[in-house]
Amino acid sequence: MTNRTPPAGIPPTSGSPSGSPSGSPSGAPASGQPASGRPRSYGAAGPAAAPTRIDRSTLPAYATGAGLLATGAAESAFALVRDWAHDVLATGVTLITPADLPPDALCVVVTLVGSTTALAEQLPTGDEPARAIHALERRTGTPAAAIAALNLAAENAILPLIAAAQLGLPLVDGDGTGRVFPLVEQTTYTLAGLSPAPLALAGAAGDLVLLETSRVEGTLRPVVLSMGGWAVAACYPMRADDLARAIVPGTVSRLLHAGHPAAGRTRPAGNPDKTSATDATGAAGGFNVADRTLAAPYGVSRLAVGVITAVDGVYHHTLDAPATGLPSLPSSVVVRESDGLRRQIRLEAHNEFVLALADGALAATAPDQICLVSLADGQVIDVDRAEPGMEVEVLIVRAAPMWHTEQGRALGGLPAFGIAL
Amino acid sequence: MIGGLATLRRATVLAVVRDGLPIHLSPLRADPGSPPGSATPTPPADPPLDRLSSPAVESALRHALARAPGLKALCLAVDLPPGHGAPVAAVRIAGPCPPALAPRLDIGHTTAPGSTATIIRGGHDLTGRPLAPLDLPALRRFARTCGLRDFAVTATGSPVLADHELQAAAAIADEVPGARITLSYEYGRAGLREREQWAIANAALCPGASHLADHLVRLLPGLPLYVARTGEGLVSAHYFRRYPLTCAEGATTSLHRAQTALAHRAAPASPRDASRTALTSPGDASRTALAGAHLAAYGATLAVPMAGVERIVRARGTAELDRAVSDAQDEALTRVLSAGAVPGSARVSSVAVNPLSYLPDGLFRLRVRAEGATP
Repeated sequence: MTNRTPPAGIPPTSGSPSGSPSGSPSGAPASGQPASGRPRSYGAAGPAAAPTRIDRSTLPAYATGAGLLATGAAESAFALVRDWAHDVLATGVTLITPADLPPDALCVVVTLVGSTTALAEQLPTGDEPARAIHALERRTGTPAAAIAALNLAAENAILPLIAAAQLGLPLVDGDGTGRVFPLVEQTTYTLAGLSPAPLALAGAAGDLVLLETSRVEGTLRPVVLSMGGWAVAACYPMRADDLARAIVPGTVSRLLHAGHPAAGRTRPAGNPDKTSATDATGAAGGFNVADRTLAAPYGVSRLAVGVITAVDGVYHHTLDAPATGLPSLPSSVVVRESDGLRRQIRLEAHNEFVLALADGALAATAPDQICLVSLADGQVIDVDRAEPGMEVEVLIVRAAPMWHTEQGRALGGLPAFGIAL
Repeated sequence: MIGGLATLRRATVLAVVRDGLPIHLSPLRADPGSPPGSATPTPPADPPLDRLSSPAVESALRHALARAPGLKALCLAVDLPPGHGAPVAAVRIAGPCPPALAPRLDIGHTTAPGSTATIIRGGHDLTGRPLAPLDLPALRRFARTCGLRDFAVTATGSPVLADHELQAAAAIADEVPGARITLSYEYGRAGLREREQWAIANAALCPGASHLADHLVRLLPGLPLYVARTGEGLVSAHYFRRYPLTCAEGATTSLHRAQTALAHRAAPASPRDASRTALTSPGDASRTALAGAHLAAYGATLAVPMAGVERIVRARGTAELDRAVSDAQDEALTRVLSAGAVPGSARVSSVAVNPLSYLPDGLFRLRVRAEGATP
């Protein structure tokens, strides 16, 4: 990985952001991103329009959008982060594109690292985002001009918003994955040659840790565990023109749009042909296929609808195996398809589901995202919550094109999860 | 032979059940209610104790029980309506937090005026390391001066290590003789705010639950008393006094259980068919209210004693994990015996072990459930 010097007066290494019209993702330089398949930016402001803001009135739509393709939307930690955001959003946060900033303005990525279970248990004191960002500002000698997200899964969509609100900074419309990966280094920022370090961690017990290392992941996890299991990280300090070429654009406003109450609520979740459990869930969960399609910039398809028949106790024979360096442990979930071919779908998980086999044949792999959605409540099921008997649908969310390059697959494909296929 | 006693808002019914079939159904109380379409507003929900302690219901219950001399146990099905809870002194053992995340005393069962909350330094992180020493002097001061007897104690990290909750309970009991104390680790789920809400709601229900259990035990000396849980299962009166929140929707749950049981046993011309007719067609003016109470009373008798354990454990290898699972199983078996399972009938019914995502070093969520039989 290339270790780029942090911003502050360093000239851009790639094409200048030019005079691209603000608010349009297509204004960003094209390096690293094919023009085709680029998402339309819903609700993003054009040059003449008023800037999009996220405030207390639009927070619920944004939060709903952030839970459509991510686990944890029903969990304690997500409710906690939402309540926290409501507290600090009195005046709202402005959404901008990197091109709205001077090319050398400092942008900082904010993310939760560690376990949401730990976050729900040990509550934040409230100053974690500010402490982490201020630490990076001190290290770079530059005040931050904007906040960006690492990814937009549940808490990680809201935490950058909280940080932006607390510091009175704008939030960049986009993120560093276009989906979710377990590692801080698994981002389009890394694919663009940017380093997550220097990286500042602030924890709820008052700890503040600054990491300067080229081995971020391996250094980070034990530190986070010693801080209590979670921390807010401020990382990838970078120039606005670097962010412009590295970001998956428009994804924040896309979630705002997808989570809006008026966004197509036409079909119940799950199999539209079934009327039993699925009708009830459409109403109760409030999610449906149309919503999720809106939340997925590059497309989503249904692999199967079925019942979980087994959650493999893989932990028993891997617990004593050599460590892979990855957070948490692998496990497997087996789903028996309810209709049609009645295939057996086997899902291999390593924090996230990374491989799906249908009757032994390869059906989907990382870097595409494999989502297990409960038909009972429309929520995306976390690996550590999967239980036999749950009725589920298996969705495949296509990753951004830059993940389907050789470099992208090396960083976010199966080998990155320790699976050689 | 086992009895089911259900008290819903408009009707109270005793069902005597043998081999899963109702053999007597005795209405103890039935209000005619308003005719359909009338503009009379729904009366406010009164606590089940008010209904069961009326002299007419008491005497009807004694009379009905006298007709069923072989009764081995009585299963009570009640819903505990919000708004009748006691004021609670809530203690959170944690660090400071944003105002939006402070203890809440304004939800559901916990709305009693006079409730109060405090945050005391202490608690553990998920690896079991102390975050700060427990501030016992501050805790004692709060307990001494709050003027309340029903306490809910929730410590950061108690699903991993409950030491600070246990120390707090000892200090409160020392300062406030006769205090009733709910500890959140008994619930065991990770998520401080949810666990705290559970503990506060449970503490609010404790005085009412104790009075209700006292009343029935006095009325029915020598007869083992069970209470239907929300969701699944039964618990003993003793368990109900300590964890009434587990039974807060016992009548609704029992009603649904009876409906499900009857739907699955549809065989024409069988005795079950007759029992379904008897259960659902009481045939008088208060038909609907009675049918619901009949079903809830019958449904309560179909459940068995049940209890669960949820906790987070750290295990560095297979042997440690196996030992932690085994400990949780023992704890679940102990709890189901405390929930009234006949000794010898208790068994572990499910074990779930999931690694926690995004953490190294083998942290696991364990959930164990155990069940048993009534006499």
